[in-house]
Amino acid sequence: MTAQEAVGRIQKQLQGLAIAWRSQTVDTFKAGSPETEIKGIATTGMATFDVVRRASAAGKNFVITHEPTFYNHQDQTGDLETDPTYQAKQRFIKENNVVIFRFHDHAHALQPDPLVVGSARMLGWTQYASPTEPRIYVLPATTLRALAADIAAKLKGKAIRIAGDPDMSVTRVALGPGYGVPALTSSVDVAVGGEAAESGGNVEYILDAAADGKKKGVILLGHMMSEDWGMKEVADWLRPLLPEIPIEWVPAGEPFTVSR
Amino acid sequence: MTASSRRDFIVTTAGSLLVPRVLRAQRGTVTAQQVADRIRSNLGVAWRSQTVDGFKAGDPSTAVTGIAVTVLATTDVLRRAAAAGQNLIITQEPLYYAANDDPGNRAKDPVYLAKKALIDEQRLMVFRLTEHWNARQPNESAKALAAALKWTTEVPDTPQTYRIADTTLEGLASQIRARLPIRGGLRMVGQAGLRVQTVYLAPGTTSLTMAVTNLQKADAILAGEPREWEAVPYTLDTWSANRGKGLIAIGRMVSESPGMSACARWIGSLVPEVRVEPMPVTDPYWSPTV
Repeated sequence: MTAQEAVGRIQKQLQGLAIAWRSQTVDTFKAGSPETEIKGIATTGMATFDVVRRASAAGKNFVITHEPTFYNHQDQTGDLETDPTYQAKQRFIKENNVVIFRFHDHAHALQPDPLVVGSARMLGWTQYASPTEPRIYVLPATTLRALAADIAAKLKGKAIRIAGDPDMSVTRVALGPGYGVPALTSSVDVAVGGEAAESGGNVEYILDAAADGKKKGVILLGHMMSEDWGMKEVADWLRPLLPEIPIEWVPAGEPFTVSR
Repeated sequence: MTASSRRDFIVTTAGSLLVPRVLRAQRGTVTAQQVADRIRSNLGVAWRSQTVDGFKAGDPSTAVTGIAVTVLATTDVLRRAAAAGQNLIITQEPLYYAANDDPGNRAKDPVYLAKKALIDEQRLMVFRLTEHWNARQPNESAKALAAALKWTTEVPDTPQTYRIADTTLEGLASQIRARLPIRGGLRMVGQAGLRVQTVYLAPGTTSLTMAVTNLQKADAILAGEPREWEAVPYTLDTWSANRGKGLIAIGRMVSESPGMSACARWIGSLVPEVRVEPMPVTDPYWSPTV
């Protein structure tokens, strides 16, 4: 089977779910030839150089990545052509017959969104999902400090960042994937997501709410600590579509360490 | 004559050093619009026709009683400014939770409404100054951040890059933590033992182009808020390409805070009629593991 044929099966499955393939999408081949014969598939939050190496070493020459391969949303490479890191990554991809395809827009279009499902499962929140409000989880009462510690332990995340009073009580949490950290509102205690622009809303809202005696919190897991897990869900979703191909989840992992 | 001696002179001629600030402003009157005009004409940067900079709240024809300069005009900053008799707040980041200051879905939110009510009741004026402040060359925020870190040796012909005493990436992180008011937001990409002699300073956001271009020379980037699909994985991939580089992200507000203190001093030199003070904000983040 070629990479192109594998993508054809994905598109057909989506069509059956009434999800039309978009004409404007970042979900395209990013490296390698679509005509390449595939030996195995690796799904990942991000096709970092290290992920591509590990996938290739495990005999998975087709990498399906949620986030970009070449460090920008459109995977434009014009400005990178003379960069030695980019060149080394491209050389490895070519020499090892790797093909990379992005599965972002259409992954988020699935119902439920596997990127949210994956985080919720890792966090042990599946049973707390609100039956009526998307992305809302109603947790047993806890504090922001205890919740943060629990999350850090479950995800083994080292670089998780929290804003808000550690002693605030928490029950209603909004969970979003990656850069889509849900907006805090008066009906949400804490927003949890991957990364956010610090001037993009939630952090200022927390600070302003605190000035009025209202306690709010935000937990930024990091982009990969938020979305890597969802690509494990995508691997599970792909297996019945491509039974003849070995499929493995190769997590990108947290890029950060934290200095003490 | 320095800014402060000019201020003293004006206050003295107004009658007494003890004249309350509000009265003093009425005598040496300057409106918020005049302050904005002085900023525009002294920036050395052409004012853009499409810009997020400008007045976000208040009537610019109001006489200014004092100016607070901050990274982020939170409700707390606005209250502190009002209590100190400062009715003009100059902020680097948005007032209303979005780049365009449109409250959007929060238009009926109690937190938004309380902030707006405070501004109206205290007759505050809020002016945003980010794009034009950051367009000045050399970059003011990078210069001020370097000064806060006590780094003095710029690498020639390499803007915003400093030569520092030989250290490791871990050593650099410790140095930054000791010299800047960081609570939990310091995150590091790259191996702790990386030798670091040169650092590129990128307060605020760090674009991919900034990372790729400057890491050709510098050993590490000191970033504010790099995107985790841009500068972060690029730096990570340098390790797989056997040319390992470092990145330390300290958060947008911490990275821009020294720059806004420098901005306060600069605005003070343009507006001798009133007191101009920096209003620092603290690192909003903490870490469950540090």
